[in-house]
Amino acid sequence: MTVFHLLIYLSVLIFLTAVAARIVRIVRMPVHLRWELYPVPHEKSRSAYGGSILEEVNWWTKEREVDRIGEAKAMVSEIFFLKGIWEHNRGLWFGSWSLHFGLYLLIGELGLLALSGFLGAVGMQPEILALVTPIVTILAWIGCALGLIGSLIMYLKRLTDPKLKPFNNASHYFNLLLLGAINVTGLIWVAADPEYAGKLVDFFAGLFSLNALPVLTTIGYTHVGIVLFFFIYFPFTHMTHAFVKYFTYHDIRWNDSPNVQGGKMGIEIDKLEHQPVTWAAPHVRADGKKTWVDIVGDTGEEKKS
Amino acid sequence: MSRSSLSKQPKKVTDISVPSEQLAHVDPQDMFPLPPPYDKVKEQPGFKALSAETRKTVAASLDDTVCVGLPQPKSKEEEERLITAFLSGLRKLFTRENNWTFLEPLVLSMEHCARCQTCVDDCPVYEASGKNEIYRPTYRSEILRRLYFKYIKPGNSLFNKFQNGDIELNWTLLSRLLELSYRCTLCRRCAQSCPIGVDNGLITREIRKLFSSEMGITEKNLHEKGTIQQLRVGSSTGMNSLAVKDNVEFIDEDMTERTGIPIESKWDVEGAEVLLLHNAGEFIAWPDNPGCFALLLDAAGITWTMSSEIAGYDGVNYGLFYDDVQLARIAAKHFEIAKKLKVKKIVMGECGHESKALGVISDRVFQGIPRETAMSLIADIVFSGKIKFDPSRNNFPVTLHDPCNLVRAMGVVEPQRRVLRYLAPKFREMHPHGVRNYCCGGGSGFAIMSQYNFMDWRLQISGRKKFKQILDAFADEDPSAETKKYVCAPCSNCKGQIRDLFDYYGAKQKSGLHYGGLVELVVNAMVDVKEGFLNFEEM
Ligand code: SF4
Ligand code: SF4
Repeated sequence: MTVFHLLIYLSVLIFLTAVAARIVRIVRMPVHLRWELYPVPHEKSRSAYGGSILEEVNWWTKEREVDRIGEAKAMVSEIFFLKGIWEHNRGLWFGSWSLHFGLYLLIGELGLLALSGFLGAVGMQPEILALVTPIVTILAWIGCALGLIGSLIMYLKRLTDPKLKPFNNASHYFNLLLLGAINVTGLIWVAADPEYAGKLVDFFAGLFSLNALPVLTTIGYTHVGIVLFFFIYFPFTHMTHAFVKYFTYHDIRWNDSPNVQGGKMGIEIDKLEHQPVTWAAPHVRADGKKTWVDIVGDTGEEKKS
Repeated sequence: MSRSSLSKQPKKVTDISVPSEQLAHVDPQDMFPLPPPYDKVKEQPGFKALSAETRKTVAASLDDTVCVGLPQPKSKEEEERLITAFLSGLRKLFTRENNWTFLEPLVLSMEHCARCQTCVDDCPVYEASGKNEIYRPTYRSEILRRLYFKYIKPGNSLFNKFQNGDIELNWTLLSRLLELSYRCTLCRRCAQSCPIGVDNGLITREIRKLFSSEMGITEKNLHEKGTIQQLRVGSSTGMNSLAVKDNVEFIDEDMTERTGIPIESKWDVEGAEVLLLHNAGEFIAWPDNPGCFALLLDAAGITWTMSSEIAGYDGVNYGLFYDDVQLARIAAKHFEIAKKLKVKKIVMGECGHESKALGVISDRVFQGIPRETAMSLIADIVFSGKIKFDPSRNNFPVTLHDPCNLVRAMGVVEPQRRVLRYLAPKFREMHPHGVRNYCCGGGSGFAIMSQYNFMDWRLQISGRKKFKQILDAFADEDPSAETKKYVCAPCSNCKGQIRDLFDYYGAKQKSGLHYGGLVELVVNAMVDVKEGFLNFEEM
C-alpha cells in the first residue's frame, strides 16, 4: 500500500461520510406539514392533468391508488432528460443536459471500473475483465466530450446571460471550471493513452487488493488528482442537489401522505407538538416552557384584548 | 424612451443593503401591454405617489408602494434592537422546536438552489413588472439564503462566502426584506418549475413568519383585523354571531323571493351530515353564494348546518399566509367545533386558502373529522341525477379561474370543470389553466390589502397577468359590454381581487365582464328555480 492508495481511500471516505451525513441529517428532520405541489405523478389516472384523490366526494372512503410507475417515469424524464429545464428554461437546456448526461456516463464508467476492479481483486480472469475495456473507453470518450461541451456552454452562459449573472457566486464559475478540468483531462488521457481502459481496470484492482497501482501518464495522474479533489469538495456544495432532489420531490413535492390515526407519523407529530416554543412575539405568548399544544390552545388573550 | 431606461432596479443582490430613497421603480411603460381597450399607456393609472409623511414615518424604500408600513426606528438603538430581534428570529426559523412545521422544505430550499433561474419567467409578478429584479422569485430567497449561510449554517465563513456570496445585514435590508415578503402572492408557480424542488413561495412565507412570530411585525389586515379579530369576535370581517345570523336571515328571505324556493339556513344542528364552512366575506360581499349553497344542499336532501361559534362561521385562516401559531389556533377551532357538533364532515365553501389550510395543511395535526372541498360536493350533487337542470339558462360566455390553493396545492382540478362543461354551454378555458394557472394577484391575502397605494400595485402588477388572461379568454366574443361575460372564480379571495380588477379598469362598463362563484351558475341552471336568477344588471 502506498501514500497514493491512502490518499484515494481518504478521499472516498470523506465523500461517503459527508454524503451519508447529509442524507442522515435530512432523514432525521422532523415531519413537516403537508406542502405538496400538483401534479403529483403517483396519482393514478389523475396525474396527467394534476388532479388528486381530494377531487372525490368522501375521498377518505375511497382507495388511494398510488402509481409508482408514474412516479418512476417522472423521475426518469427529470433525471435523464432534465424535463423541468426543457419546459421552463429552454435556452439553458442543452448546456445543462450535456453537462449532466456526461457526468452520468462518467459515473457509469466509475461504477463499471469499481466492479471490474473488485472482481479482479477477488481473482476473476484478466481476459474476462478485458471485456469491459471497450465499454469503459466509449463511456470515457462520450462522457468527457459531453461534459466538456456542457461545462463550456454553462460557463459562457454564466458569464454572459443577464438572467444568470447577478446571482452567480464565485463557486458557480469554480465548479464549472472544475468539472471542465475533469472532462478535459479525461478526454486527453483517453485520446493519448491507448491503454487507458486497461490501466484503469488494473488501477481499480490494485485499489481493492492493496497491490501496486499501475504507473499512469502525467495527464492520467492530473485527472485522478482533480477527480479526488472533486470527491472531497462536492458534498459541501449545492451540487448535492444531485441526490437531495430525491427528498425535495419525494418528501415534499409529492408527499401527500395523510397522518393515519395510530400510525408512526402521528407518534412523531405528537412529540413535536409537545416541544417548547420560544418565539418571542407577544401574540404567541410563549414562555419557553409552554409547548405547541399549550400555545395553540391558548386563544384566551385575544378574547380579553 | 426605452423600457429599461424607465425602470429602476438593483444591479446586484447586495444592493438591498445599500441605503437609497427607493431601490426599484416600475413605470407603466415597463409593464407588458394589456389588450385593447386597456392598451394605452397614458391611460394606465400608474402608482399614486406616497406622501412625504409616509416616506418619513414608515419604511418605504423598496419600491413604489408600501404594504406593511413598518414605522421608522426613532434611534440607532431601536434599529439595533430590531436587527438583534431579526437575527434571533432567523435562528429560531431553523430550529425544530419552533419551526418543525416547515423545517425540511425550508432547509432544503436554502441549501440546494443552483441559481439556474429556471423558475423566474414563470412568476406573474416578475413578468408583469417588466422583469424588475426585485420581483424575481429568486431575489428575496437569495437574500435569506445569504443570511442563512452567514449567520446560521455552521462552517467556515470564507468557504460559505465563496459558495453562497455575502450580504450585509442592516436596517435597510431588514425593512426592505419585510416589504419584499409582501410582493409575492405565494402562488408557488415558480416552485412548480424548479427542477431541484426549491420553493421560493415557501421561502417568502417563512420570511413573513420570522417577522410575525419573533418580532410581532405583521400586516394588519392579516393579523389584527384578521386572525386576532377572528379569534376574538368570530370572524375576520368583524361580524359577531348575531350579525352573521341576521345577515343570513336576510339572505334566506332574498333567495326565497328570487328563486321561488323557500330557504332556511341551519345553525348549530348536531349530528348533521355536513358542517358548511364559508369564508365569512361571502355573507357580506357575495350573499348569493351562501344562499345558493343552502338551496342546493336542501335540494340534494343533505342534512347540513353552519356553526355560530367563534370562528365557526368563518373558514378564513390567514395564518396560512404568515404565522403557524395563528394558523394552528384557527384550524384547531374549526376542528373542535365540528367535533362538538358531531358532523360527519366539514365542507369547505368556495374559498381556496380555507380549503388548503383545513383540507391539507392541518391534515397531519388535527384529525377525526374528514374535510372535502365544495367543488367535489357540488359536482357530486350536479351529477347525482337528483336535480333537473337546464344548461341553456347559462347561455353566456363563461371562463374559469383556478384558485392556486385549490388547484396547485390540492389537485382539485376537474370537478368544477365537469360542472361547467355540463351547465355552461359557452364555457372556455383560460390559457394556461389547471395546475399551471396564474394567480389572480390577490393571493397570500393581497385581496384584502389596500392601504397606502398598495391597491395600485396589486391591481397593476400582481393582478395584471390574470386580467390579461381573462380578456384573452373572451377574445372571440363581441368585446363590447353588450355581451355579458362571466368569470367563474370559486374562491372568495380571488373574487375580491377580480372585483377590484374589474372596478379599477372599468371592465364591466367597457367589456361586460362579470364574475361570481360556481354554485351560482348551478342554481341559475336549476329547472325548479325561477328563471333569470343570475341578473347581470345587479352583479
Ligand atoms: S429556485 Fe430552482 S429554478 Fe430557481 S434558481 Fe433555484 S434551482 Fe433554479
Ligand atoms: S410564489 Fe408566485 S408570486 Fe411568489 S415568486 Fe413564486 S411565482 Fe412569483
